[in-house]
Amino acid sequence: MPEYDPGKHSMIDSQVLSTPATRNWPALVELRRKFAGRWVFSLLLVTGCAILTLLVLAPLYTLLSKSVENRAGEFVGLENFAHYLSSGGIESAFFNSLWVAGLSTLVVVFLAFMAAWALTRTRLPFTGWIRGVLVLPILAPSLLPAISLVYLFGNQGVLKDWLFGAEIYGPIGIIMGSCFWTFPHALMILLTAMDNADGRHYEAATALKAGPWRTFWTVTVPGARYGLVSAAFVVFTLVITDFGVPKVIGGQFDVLATDIYKQVIGQQKFEMGAVVSVLLLLPAMLAFIADRYVQRKQSASFTARSVPYKPSQDRKRDAVGALMLTPTLVFIFAIIGMAIYASFVTFWPYNLDLSLNNYQFGRMDGGGWGAYGNSLQMALGTMVIGTILVFFNAWLMERTPQPRFLTGLFQFLSLLPLAVPGLVLGLSYIFFFNHPDNPINGIYGTLFILMLCTITHFYAVSHLTAVTALKQLDQEFEAVGESLNASRWRVLFTVTLPLCLPAILDVALYLFVNAMTTVSAVVFLYGHDSQLASVAVLNMDEAGDIAPAAAMAILITATCAVAKLIQGLLRFWVDRSTRPWRQGTE
Amino acid sequence: MSQKTQGSRLEIQGVDKFFGDFCALKNIDLTIEPGELVCFLGPSGCGKTTLLRIIAGLECQSGGLLHQGDTDISLKPPRDRDFGIVFQSYALFPNMTVADNIAYGLRSIGMPKARVRSRVDELLNLVGLEDHVRKYPAQLSGGQQQRVALARALAPSPGLLLLDEPLSALDAKVRHHLRSEIRNLQKQLGVTTIMVTHDQEEALAMADRVVVMNNGVIEQVGTPLEIYQQPASAFVASFIGAMNFIDSSPLNGQRVKVGNRELELVRPLPSAEGAVRLAIRPEDVHLLPCGDGEWEGEVRALDYLGAFIRTHIRLNDVELDLVVDVDPRSARRLGLCVGGGICLNLPSDALHCFAA
Repeated sequence: MPEYDPGKHSMIDSQVLSTPATRNWPALVELRRKFAGRWVFSLLLVTGCAILTLLVLAPLYTLLSKSVENRAGEFVGLENFAHYLSSGGIESAFFNSLWVAGLSTLVVVFLAFMAAWALTRTRLPFTGWIRGVLVLPILAPSLLPAISLVYLFGNQGVLKDWLFGAEIYGPIGIIMGSCFWTFPHALMILLTAMDNADGRHYEAATALKAGPWRTFWTVTVPGARYGLVSAAFVVFTLVITDFGVPKVIGGQFDVLATDIYKQVIGQQKFEMGAVVSVLLLLPAMLAFIADRYVQRKQSASFTARSVPYKPSQDRKRDAVGALMLTPTLVFIFAIIGMAIYASFVTFWPYNLDLSLNNYQFGRMDGGGWGAYGNSLQMALGTMVIGTILVFFNAWLMERTPQPRFLTGLFQFLSLLPLAVPGLVLGLSYIFFFNHPDNPINGIYGTLFILMLCTITHFYAVSHLTAVTALKQLDQEFEAVGESLNASRWRVLFTVTLPLCLPAILDVALYLFVNAMTTVSAVVFLYGHDSQLASVAVLNMDEAGDIAPAAAMAILITATCAVAKLIQGLLRFWVDRSTRPWRQGTE
Repeated sequence: MSQKTQGSRLEIQGVDKFFGDFCALKNIDLTIEPGELVCFLGPSGCGKTTLLRIIAGLECQSGGLLHQGDTDISLKPPRDRDFGIVFQSYALFPNMTVADNIAYGLRSIGMPKARVRSRVDELLNLVGLEDHVRKYPAQLSGGQQQRVALARALAPSPGLLLLDEPLSALDAKVRHHLRSEIRNLQKQLGVTTIMVTHDQEEALAMADRVVVMNNGVIEQVGTPLEIYQQPASAFVASFIGAMNFIDSSPLNGQRVKVGNRELELVRPLPSAEGAVRLAIRPEDVHLLPCGDGEWEGEVRALDYLGAFIRTHIRLNDVELDLVVDVDPRSARRLGLCVGGGICLNLPSDALHCFAA
């Protein structure tokens, strides 16, 4: 029997192949091939990295170095921190921030979990509408709930008695306001975690004679555990870094976010602002790292074999679900309703006639209609520039050949903004872009820097959305394209972009809404000619024009709602015209 | 109908591939003749897909050369190579109709519109999808999507067709049907074809030659018959079809010892010293009524597999378990039943011998 001779095959060519280029330097051959025609993409991603370095890393570095310098710019080590400690700032602001954010997180995650359970595990009618209402707060600036709470529970509030003599100006107000605007964030995370439940798990629990309560604790809660953890981290970070709510309703209650504002705007102590920023950066960074760690452990439990869970008909459970949704729905309606009502009341609480007086912004300080126009321009610019930048970079990272260290670096740079509070980002922009030696300090005080700052501030979530959409496409599209003589660019425009259109619309809306509503990042950066509507709300509130502030907040919310409506129509149109791409005719 | 294109010859010389320290392919040498259909067969992780991707240029070899026809393609990017590829997932563009998918490669090379249309029609005829031109991939069955992917890959008339597990996403019936369809199409067009598969039945049924791979090396290259009847290594013997292995120690010449018995082989031993493994296919073992054969055993279990019965037999005196395939008629004649005794012969011309 002819035995296989391994030498037979290699023998033929051994003399041909002993050229050093192929045999002794395998790495070199690989390198040569890798760079042939691919360096363009690497160069582009390097550019992407450079842009993000300029927008995130460099300003942050300037901020960190400012925190260890004195006013004259000399290095003083930790002296500023020691000074802040001895002034008692740690006890008040730092711990206040921690416990207020912690308590808000508990409340929001609890309410959001109840709501998500009711929406995914019962057969309540109108869940589409209910979902819509529950995420409404995302369209409003965080200042709106604070203003509304003042009307409800403030000194002249309609429901003042409900607090039994307690003050709304302080932790109670901050927690209530924070719960309002962070609720949709927690709800969306939990809905994603709970929407894709495997029905087989529930059937297995029933077959093993588990009652509803045991099923809840052994199937539902474990299935949502990563969502719960993620929601908790997100809400904690949002609350501790938020500036709008404590500014309006915090009263004498100090938190880190308002402390930065006071140090910088009130006392012009920039180096102390930097110190507080670093202290605010710490918990946000920790939450960010912990969340990343948990997400990495999460593996998809919903596989192709899973059967989607369909709740069975159960009147009693539906009633429980309705009961769980009611307080949240009432709270959201009360807050938004109160703000709308207050914005039309002629002179609270003495003249309750409805009028448009408060919408005549020209009569008040704060920038008026011009600020609103600026906001629109800024939001549209952010939307267009941001969406293009985010998608192009995500495409480079996901769908073109790149050295691994480069994609790693880019991923780090694009997620970093998630850990940087808006106020900290804004302050570091002052230090970096307003520096006399910075060649582009001309953009300081313009709408352009506000756009850059806002894009950076909301880069991470947009980036994740884009990456998720790009990952879902078949990994071999580019390979097929190359085998068919089509460049990656052609595949991008003929295949990738059309398929990613829904995600592109989502990112665009996300950037627009956040650019309209954000206060924290831009409050340090606006100039005389670039006042923004959201900042105008803040300034009018500070000046005591609280009704016009409510009116402006409602105007912003309405604008975002219109944007959401337009985006919804576009998505509907896209979904309808691309239905044949996704499903069969059967 | 489509004119017969001249498939190209492919020569792979000393190709290595490292992923970090892991050696995925080691010194691969292989020549594929024009018009041939070659299957890369092996367990997952054996390097067969990596080799295919290197041939396509989607992965770069760490060392070694590739020639397609007279051209050195070792360092060429995929776009400059002449091949069509079908992936396991098909990777059809979901936002394009069947016709647009097939025309994609033709438009890339700037073919005039009228010619694109006639070429697309030609291919649709070839794969039998004339009625589905305006449909989108999601509106087709798995088998139909497969055909579109094939047509798309063949549209620019490549000299080389690469198929990466093209049938594994389909259910058994469609798979069997498409197998012969692809084979016929390939013969008709004369395109040199490489197919990666982990399904031995598929490889044996379709290929002119099979390349059996394991742990990054080629274990054997041969026609399906050679691979099955003359496996070059114990790995090939066990991977293709079923095989009984019997440990033994060599005596002098062509004699080996199994337990306390001696066996005469028809072929020389692979090595002079060290243990050897004998191997025999289940259908080659000769069952006899009790008392007639050289070996005595006891039937431990019977698996009815339709056309034949897989019999598990224990040879008590050498403590050996054998699997033997018997047709139902012989089984009846032998009176096979669990717990019953049986005799058997191991025909020496059916015994393979490998170094242990």
